[in-house]
Amino acid sequence: MALRISMGQYVPRNSCIHRLDPRAKVGAALAVMITVFFVQTPAQLAFALAFAAAVLALSKVPARQALRSVRPLVVMLFLLGLFNLLYVREGHVLLALGALRITTGGLWYAICYPLRFTVAVLMGALMLFTTTPTQLTDAVDACLAPLSSMGLPGHELAMVFSLMLRFIPTIADEAQAIVDAQAARGGAVGEGSLAHRVRAIGPVVVALLASSAHHAEGLSRALDARCYEGGSARSHWHPLHMAGRDWLALAICAAYVVVLLFLGTL
Amino acid sequence: MQPSPSIARGASAVSLSHVSLSFETDVQALVDVSLEVAPGERLCVLGPNGSGKSTLASVICGLLAPDAGSVTLVGEPVMREGTVDFAAYRRARRSLGLVFQNPDDQLVTTVVEEDVAFGPENLGVDPAQIGERVRRELHRVAMQDFAKADPTRLSGGQKQRVAIAGALAMEPSVIVFDEPGALLDVRGRRSIMRVMDALARDGITQVHVTHFMEEAFAADRVIVLDHGRIALSGTPDEVFSHERELRALGLEPPFAARLSELLRDRGVDVPWTCDVATLKSAVASVCAAPLDSRVSRPQAARATTGEKDAAPAAGAKAPAAPEDVAVSVEGVTFSYAESSATRGDAGTRGALEGVSLTVQRGSLTSIVGQTGSGKSTLARLMCALDTPDAGRIVVGGVDTQPRRNRRLVHQRIGYVMQHPERQLFAETVWQDVCYGPRNLGLDDAEVSRRASRALELVGLSGREQVSPFELSGGQQRLCAIAGILAMRPGAIVLDEPTAGLDPRGRAELRRILGSLHAHGVTIIQVTHSMEDAARSDQVVVLNNARLLMAGTPREVFTPANAVLLRECGLGLPAPLAWAIELREAGVTLDLSQGLAPLTTEALADALAEAIARAARGPHDAHDSHDRGGD
Repeated sequence: MALRISMGQYVPRNSCIHRLDPRAKVGAALAVMITVFFVQTPAQLAFALAFAAAVLALSKVPARQALRSVRPLVVMLFLLGLFNLLYVREGHVLLALGALRITTGGLWYAICYPLRFTVAVLMGALMLFTTTPTQLTDAVDACLAPLSSMGLPGHELAMVFSLMLRFIPTIADEAQAIVDAQAARGGAVGEGSLAHRVRAIGPVVVALLASSAHHAEGLSRALDARCYEGGSARSHWHPLHMAGRDWLALAICAAYVVVLLFLGTL
Repeated sequence: MQPSPSIARGASAVSLSHVSLSFETDVQALVDVSLEVAPGERLCVLGPNGSGKSTLASVICGLLAPDAGSVTLVGEPVMREGTVDFAAYRRARRSLGLVFQNPDDQLVTTVVEEDVAFGPENLGVDPAQIGERVRRELHRVAMQDFAKADPTRLSGGQKQRVAIAGALAMEPSVIVFDEPGALLDVRGRRSIMRVMDALARDGITQVHVTHFMEEAFAADRVIVLDHGRIALSGTPDEVFSHERELRALGLEPPFAARLSELLRDRGVDVPWTCDVATLKSAVASVCAAPLDSRVSRPQAARATTGEKDAAPAAGAKAPAAPEDVAVSVEGVTFSYAESSATRGDAGTRGALEGVSLTVQRGSLTSIVGQTGSGKSTLARLMCALDTPDAGRIVVGGVDTQPRRNRRLVHQRIGYVMQHPERQLFAETVWQDVCYGPRNLGLDDAEVSRRASRALELVGLSGREQVSPFELSGGQQRLCAIAGILAMRPGAIVLDEPTAGLDPRGRAELRRILGSLHAHGVTIIQVTHSMEDAARSDQVVVLNNARLLMAGTPREVFTPANAVLLRECGLGLPAPLAWAIELREAGVTLDLSQGLAPLTTEALADALAEAIARAARGPHDAHDSHDRGGD
């Protein structure tokens, strides 16, 4: 079932990427993810892919596992890429069948767009694979510090984000159980006409919302019992501090961005 | 761990005085409850579901302020005559720990040691100390080898131990356990009890809320709640001697108490006790008289045991006619490797390898095995929710493999999965129960007929227009089961149907299954209870994805199989385990196949008979003429 999601699950390994300060890691990942949108030329695309492959290798996360977790998104991106193939009318015509015309421009977009998104998705996945939710919360917390100083719930948002990651597998398992239960009662989800599927999904969503509300209730009891009161008086078992390697990582990331942009001007 | 300095020596750790609390639905959760918990005491709170015991747990751990009364927690007067002192509550909460039912809801991160550190971090503990606390508490709950593990991949018992370590790392003066074992299997529950025993030795004040009477023995004091009032209070022995009151409250007296009661009914001179060791030595001493092996064993007593006797061996082994087979599993192999590949290394859990078995039409089959042995997988395959990688499963003559057959299979076999109440979705009980029959394409009259019959069967008639989410936990499960019964399947598969229910709920469910069985419905249940398994027609034992054995309870539960069953994390039904121990203690019991007692009643009969024989023995040998006229 495609409902099984592994996105965002921490993969414990002892790698230089794992050891990075989460703030440096989140910052660098965001920089790489944003700059993929500047990728326009084959040289840029090759460079971005090579960089992503290098980070993947350094992280010691099994490549199969990493690729498998981004597969559903990537498949969707390539399907969307097909539209580019059919609708973009730039460059030479490679193939013309009646109304159907495939151009070099369309082919390039059909390849480039999904691949550069793949780089972005992979970087995001690697960030989540190599960072524990606690570290991630701390990092997001640090990023949202300006919000907190304005009196907005920056720390709480970070906590919500981290709890969301924690509960994705639990909720996914429950969704699977609900789909099974309804299949056993003859209400097959994912079968029949589109209208039928949409109708069948209703009961699944309601049952899932009910069980999520149940989890939320339990979780709030647990947070109260463990004296969670927001960011004010919390201490940190592993307080964050930027070390030399973190600055080095940021410098490498900056160099990557500069080279990428430079390649675009060639 | 030292009790918090805030408690003066001799003062109570928890003190409730005339506490009352009601919820907006006008339900009185607590009525005039007064209670003192001494530092270092281990208090057990018993009560059926809805008795207010969970509310009491929340009040004691400072998460819920009552409506009236006075409360002092760890030396902080948090409430005086109905006036709440919020600042005092905040201070008190820092010295109060809580562990509750659902382990999934208590873990906030995806690394075990980070989770244990979460509480101390919230308390602002110095980072250097946090590491030490995390190590110490993980060691105390025997989870030190899992410090870097992902808690969502652990078993329920392990998760719950991590949750306990997380509470202990905050160094609470009082720790409250709110049914920590309710969702766990026997092994998980036992591991939690071991941790609690260790905490008691370390002098940590514990309040344990449960509906398992067996867990209450280790407590210093037991209180029993009924409709928000303290009905009974005292040492475990004092409380359990009120057997009639406990039964009236829907609580099940512990095994030793039941057995000693049954023995006394049969005129055996043993004291009433709920202590296992006391009863054992009493029985052994009554039987200590010299025995006469010439006395032949009377057979009459067994007729009253209500136990399922073994089918004649020849009949059981003869191949069944195809029309008598409800489900046939032929050399089935299955692995999750493909479908759950995204779950990484957990991909091989619960697979099956070369499993073959036959379920007779109209029979009651129990599938047993420890967590991860493949029981739930087998249940899913029988219901065509997955198809075998090799081999085949035929349900009522229909192969589950072809996709087009699935719908047909779903009509013939109903599936009640674990915690079916989590799948309720409709606005009313009626609509939820009608969902299945409607999908079968039946006309409205037939749908109504089936739904009302199913609701009648589970005892929910009259609640049709209520939202399923307003029912109690036990009723929600019955509603979900009614939804399956309304489809009128010839066979029904239930995955741990009694898990998490209180004794009254369990008895109710057994009654429903019994009545279905009497109507000729084939029942296949996955269970952790060897006592339930002993009452079925066939027991299927799975271990590490393979079929270990299958047969009648008398064939499976034998003294010879005890070691084998223990090795795969199972046990014998308590009566048989007891009989074996008593035989080792010198009581002459015939435990050969077909005679070994599998129910408490059968054990009492066998013991009464052995004792009568022991008493008769010397007389038969020496002065049988004098006794002849009796």
